[in-house]
Amino acid sequence: MNAARDLRELFSYRELIAVLALREIRSRYKYTFLGAGWALALPVGLMLVFTLVFSHVAPLDTGAVPYPVFAYIGLLPWQLHAGILTGSARSLTDNRNLVTKVYFAREVMPLSRVLSALFDFAIASTVLAALMAWYRIVPGPGAWLVPVVLLVQLAFGVGLGLVVSAANLLYRDVQYVLQVVIMIWMFGSAVVYPLPETGRLAIISWINPVTPILNAYRGLLLGGQTGFSPQFYVAAAVSATLLVGGWLLFRRLERRFGELA
Amino acid sequence: MSDAPTVKFDSVWKRLTRRAQVTTLAELLYAVPRRLMNPRRDGLREHEFWALQNLNFSLRPGESLGVVGPNGAGKSSLLKLLFRIFRPDRGHVQTRGRVTGLIELGAGFHPILNGRENVFINGAILGMRQKEIRAKYDAIVKFAELEDFMDMPVKNYSSGMAARLSFAIAAHADPDVLLVDEVLAVGDASFQVRCHEWIERTRKAGTTIVMVSHQMHVLQNADRVLYLDGGESKLLDEPGVAIGRYLADQAERIRESDAVRSTAEGITRVQLLQGDEPAHEIEAGAPATFRVHYSFEKPVTDPVVTLELVHSDPRFLISTPGAQLAQLSSGLSLRGHTALGSGCFDVEVGALQLPVGMYSVRAAVKAHGDFTASIRRDDALRFEIMRPAESDSTSLIDLPQNWRIVEPSEIPQP
Repeated sequence: MNAARDLRELFSYRELIAVLALREIRSRYKYTFLGAGWALALPVGLMLVFTLVFSHVAPLDTGAVPYPVFAYIGLLPWQLHAGILTGSARSLTDNRNLVTKVYFAREVMPLSRVLSALFDFAIASTVLAALMAWYRIVPGPGAWLVPVVLLVQLAFGVGLGLVVSAANLLYRDVQYVLQVVIMIWMFGSAVVYPLPETGRLAIISWINPVTPILNAYRGLLLGGQTGFSPQFYVAAAVSATLLVGGWLLFRRLERRFGELA
Repeated sequence: MSDAPTVKFDSVWKRLTRRAQVTTLAELLYAVPRRLMNPRRDGLREHEFWALQNLNFSLRPGESLGVVGPNGAGKSSLLKLLFRIFRPDRGHVQTRGRVTGLIELGAGFHPILNGRENVFINGAILGMRQKEIRAKYDAIVKFAELEDFMDMPVKNYSSGMAARLSFAIAAHADPDVLLVDEVLAVGDASFQVRCHEWIERTRKAGTTIVMVSHQMHVLQNADRVLYLDGGESKLLDEPGVAIGRYLADQAERIRESDAVRSTAEGITRVQLLQGDEPAHEIEAGAPATFRVHYSFEKPVTDPVVTLELVHSDPRFLISTPGAQLAQLSSGLSLRGHTALGSGCFDVEVGALQLPVGMYSVRAAVKAHGDFTASIRRDDALRFEIMRPAESDSTSLIDLPQNWRIVEPSEIPQP
């Protein structure tokens, strides 16, 4: 029942998670002209670049959906995913002076990075709303299921984030490996182009949970989809397993953080 | 308030390694086989050592424990175990309630955020609710005396201001167990006094206090003092007994360490003499002689000899730029003499009225009027000033004193 006690303890630190996320957000955008507006820069910039490439240089068929909307609805959750991973990976090493000096449930560190990535996600979401209004796209009847997709995505991100944060404390290689992985991962995840649903490449959406997650956002918000694909259920199961397994691994390693950091 | 222990160390052992931790994946490749081929013997692998061995004690609410010991005795490991930053390898550490430390004040400060924002962050790190911090905010700022600086980024704070703010936050966290490290040496004197007053008040209110310090007068006030050496508990007793034993061991070690070796050239050594006998410890206020041995290849005419006495307590460093607490200088009294070859200078001090503690002596000889070349020797002698045996004072300096009662008839009427 130690796990239950640890969960209760973690819950008692919920304010600290929010405070540290706020600290991160404030310090990131303080003394900048655009402030939190910078949260838009990366997804919007990437959307413009890919629009140029896939609408003009090598035109891509995205059906009834205008390409900028198609790309942005992929980039938005993808940036959240990448933000959670890179943020979590450095969360413990960046705060070494706290980890070696003060006690609190260590999960607080990666979780606060998840929260600050969610903040950027929320800001960048306004652009999606604006784009959909501009192209007069009405959210599909399944749009109410979007929070479920977000929950699955968060479970996946938090589970993986816990693992990489602890791993990076043990081996600093992890943060560099992660940058490469995230770049390759993006191109294998149907972020800015649809992946084929038949043929050999179709297997990607079964083994890479991000693909069905992104497809679910797209299908529910833009298409007429009202339920989930079988691949999405697999992704949800993987995410739940990763969340529990990642946390158990984190707890095991956490005992020695004070000596390793 | 229950009387159950707030802190309990039950046969606690903590293992640490001298070797750097594996930090890259490449190192892991050969660390794993090495580890397999090198099993633990008596619980230790190569390069590992026991930072703490079989430590037992428990503290009740309102009790205070001082911890003394030389560097590497395990004091920091003990604090980290209390703070749950380290977990014991054997045995159990139990703490009850909120454990707050004054270790490394300001570890959680974010430099570009202002004082106000940092109060809320640091308070949360110490386990306070935001509501609680809001309620105590004004008191925290007042305690830190930073009313006019809360909108300034912490990076622009002086180190004293930062320390004051972070102490003020910790002071309002209402801890059940408070850990105090050397940090209180920061801040000006009035702030230090207030810190110690506050610690005493919280102790009376039922907080358990654990303090680690090299400043013996701080530890004198503890209920009990734990003397650690090499990770083992040597003594857990009243402050006077434990500190006395620690200081005696330290003095012994200095004599044995031969830290002050003689050299062939220049100022070869400096001796402290009591009567005609060399001494390493001397009672405050006793007469003493310093003897400076020299061996010069070139003549030094009209020599001016200077001895600077440096106290080991770092708080005395702030008093003077050269860090010396007292200086003996021959001035012009050796005029007309030329020092060449081997010889000695003696300086007699009628009463060595110095604060108690360990001292190091810096010696220098130069020719009068020569402002460039001087023959110097740092750490030429170490000695200890002891509290006089009959003294019951706890102050730094015992002044020679005579008391009497003045009869009314003796007081001159205006």
